[in-house]
Amino acid sequence: MNKTLLVIGREYLTRVRKPSFWLLTLLVPILFAALYAIPIYLALKPAERSAVLVVDESGLFGGLDRDDTLRADSRFVSTDNIEYRYAATMDYARRQLDSDADATAIVYVRRRASEAIPTDACLYYKSDLPPQQVRYDVDRQLQRILRNRLLQAHGISDDEYALITNTRVNLRTEDLTTGREAFLEVKSGLGLVLSILIYFVIFMFGAQVMRGVVEEKSNRVVEVIVCSVRPFQLMMGKVVGIALVGLTQFLLWVALTGVALVGIQAANGDLFSAAAQKHDLTELATKGSDATLQMQQADQMADLPSIVEGIASIDFGLIVPLFLFFFIFGYLLYATLFAAAGAMSDNDTDTQIVSLPLTIPLLATLLCMPAMIDAPSGVLSQVLSLVPFTSPVAMMLRIPFGVPTVEVVVSMLLLLVSIPLCTWLSARIYRGSILRYGLLANWRKKKGVKGS
Amino acid sequence: MFLETQHIEKSFGTYRALDDINIGVREGTVFGLLGPNGAGKTTLIRLINRIARPDGGRILLGGHEMTDDDVRQIGYLPEERGLYKKMRVGEQAVYLARLKGLSRAEAERRLIRWFERFGIESWWKRPVEELSKGMQQKVQFIVTVVHEPRLLIFDEPFSGFDPVNATLLRDEILRLKTGGATVILSTHNMASVEELCDDIALIDKSHVVLSGGVGEIRRSFGKGEYEAVVDDGQTLRLALQEGQNANELLRQLMTSHIICSFRELLPSMNDIFVEAVEKGGQR
Repeated sequence: MNKTLLVIGREYLTRVRKPSFWLLTLLVPILFAALYAIPIYLALKPAERSAVLVVDESGLFGGLDRDDTLRADSRFVSTDNIEYRYAATMDYARRQLDSDADATAIVYVRRRASEAIPTDACLYYKSDLPPQQVRYDVDRQLQRILRNRLLQAHGISDDEYALITNTRVNLRTEDLTTGREAFLEVKSGLGLVLSILIYFVIFMFGAQVMRGVVEEKSNRVVEVIVCSVRPFQLMMGKVVGIALVGLTQFLLWVALTGVALVGIQAANGDLFSAAAQKHDLTELATKGSDATLQMQQADQMADLPSIVEGIASIDFGLIVPLFLFFFIFGYLLYATLFAAAGAMSDNDTDTQIVSLPLTIPLLATLLCMPAMIDAPSGVLSQVLSLVPFTSPVAMMLRIPFGVPTVEVVVSMLLLLVSIPLCTWLSARIYRGSILRYGLLANWRKKKGVKGS
Repeated sequence: MFLETQHIEKSFGTYRALDDINIGVREGTVFGLLGPNGAGKTTLIRLINRIARPDGGRILLGGHEMTDDDVRQIGYLPEERGLYKKMRVGEQAVYLARLKGLSRAEAERRLIRWFERFGIESWWKRPVEELSKGMQQKVQFIVTVVHEPRLLIFDEPFSGFDPVNATLLRDEILRLKTGGATVILSTHNMASVEELCDDIALIDKSHVVLSGGVGEIRRSFGKGEYEAVVDDGQTLRLALQEGQNANELLRQLMTSHIICSFRELLPSMNDIFVEAVEKGGQR
């Protein structure tokens, strides 16, 4: 036992001391922090000012009006970042585009052949594609002006329009007996994240075990070691050592990501409110009295509390321990098998072939995910979450939807029972292969002879 | 006998790697385990090390059947040897010594002494991958002997060493023997066998084909040839006639020459090895 501890210690320390371990440990929180911070930064960054020239031959969008005092309803309205300038002809607009560095595009609406509402407009640009923001705003302005025209033509007031278009129905999925809402989208999202995470960690740390075994074998250090330590102790020491590395990295990720997020918020505390305010002001300035757009905004905002509510409805007290359980034991199930695969290989090329049978069940589960999300309690889901080789990934996908306790317990027991079996099998393969070289080459040669 | 194997059998699938192997190693001697490539030497060594188990037969150490605990009394330098490339030399040596049951403090104390003996203290903090092959061999030798085992097994210990370091290694092996250790030496270097070994066993095609003391074996393979140096500086090679013994040959020679030296010409271990293996090949 003491020797196994020594092996565990070596496996753990040599890995934790590697620069690559710390690189990965730091990169993931930085990535998360960036995902969080970049949108804030972009929202706050003063957008580049650009001018857009409007050539409106149809007259529907204010192009033929000589009177600038007309209602903003029927004209392009400049925003903070985009200045709309009317031009009478395409030629003039083209010259402007060439001479004015600020000018990024021309909106062109052709003369109407009939009284029908035109459905075509074109956004011309010079050499650089106009910013996404410009394209989006031009589209919005075109639709706004047209809609206002139609409303006027039919004598519908803004209030009436708002009343008519307010057709939002909040369809909820609720349990008939408990009356609790299901929050299906939130649960699907969470299930996907959890199961992909568990797939990723099993694969990553399993492959580390395999690489470690091949390294010892190709270094020829293994024969020195196995005369002091039994092969089983060496294998288990490696598996447990790497499991501890995995847990360390996982905890560091969680802790560092937390620190990074809190740090960003603390550093930019007022930026959040500033961003929110600025956003509101811009919206107000652009739309003026335009009630409909504000309402759409309100609709989008209305989704937010329901997501929060959905997350709140999830039983993290159950999910977190289950995640750790399936992470640790799913890893243990695969790690010894990866060790056996490593023992059968002489080099990294061999491992790719030998480990293929191990990756198939994991990959298959990943491919079955869409079907499982569709029917979290269907037969496929049930089977995959019981079979030990697929249950860690499959169960994590199902857990947020709620799984009957019996199924969870049976799945956990099956996983627990299969670990000693796999370990026994792996230990046999490992012991028999670790000091033999050219196993795969010989096997391939034999196959080749048989085939010809 | 300090180490004894009795009727050892080992097969891999249908291939019989060892068949009825009986060898005895006396305490405090150097025992040469010889044989052509693929004869089964490494397999036998692995059985003694308990890395693998025999299909039949017994291995006795100090009179009792070996157990896993006895492995601590063995120091083994495998032919295929290596070290973790990324680890530092000192750290790795301490790790391997601790696996043999030494405490950290004891391991460090002894290793530093050995490193000083070999003049390699400055390597302690260097990663193994920066060391040349010969340098790594030195570290491996130290790691093999640091726990002061009673039985040492060296498989091709001289490979990768330059003549200076090979001499250093030879002296160390003899010093360990003087210190009371029993040594099994497996090598293809027959000169070192003559120099170091007290007894040998020659394994060929899974069987022991020759065993005994080096002196006896060489004499038994002698062809009755003698070399005499006479006073005019000539060196004469003489062969015994049918029914003649050495004294009679010497007496005959004395009638014609003044003799400065007279010695039996013994075949080298190299010749014996080749002869024994070829004879086995004809069988």
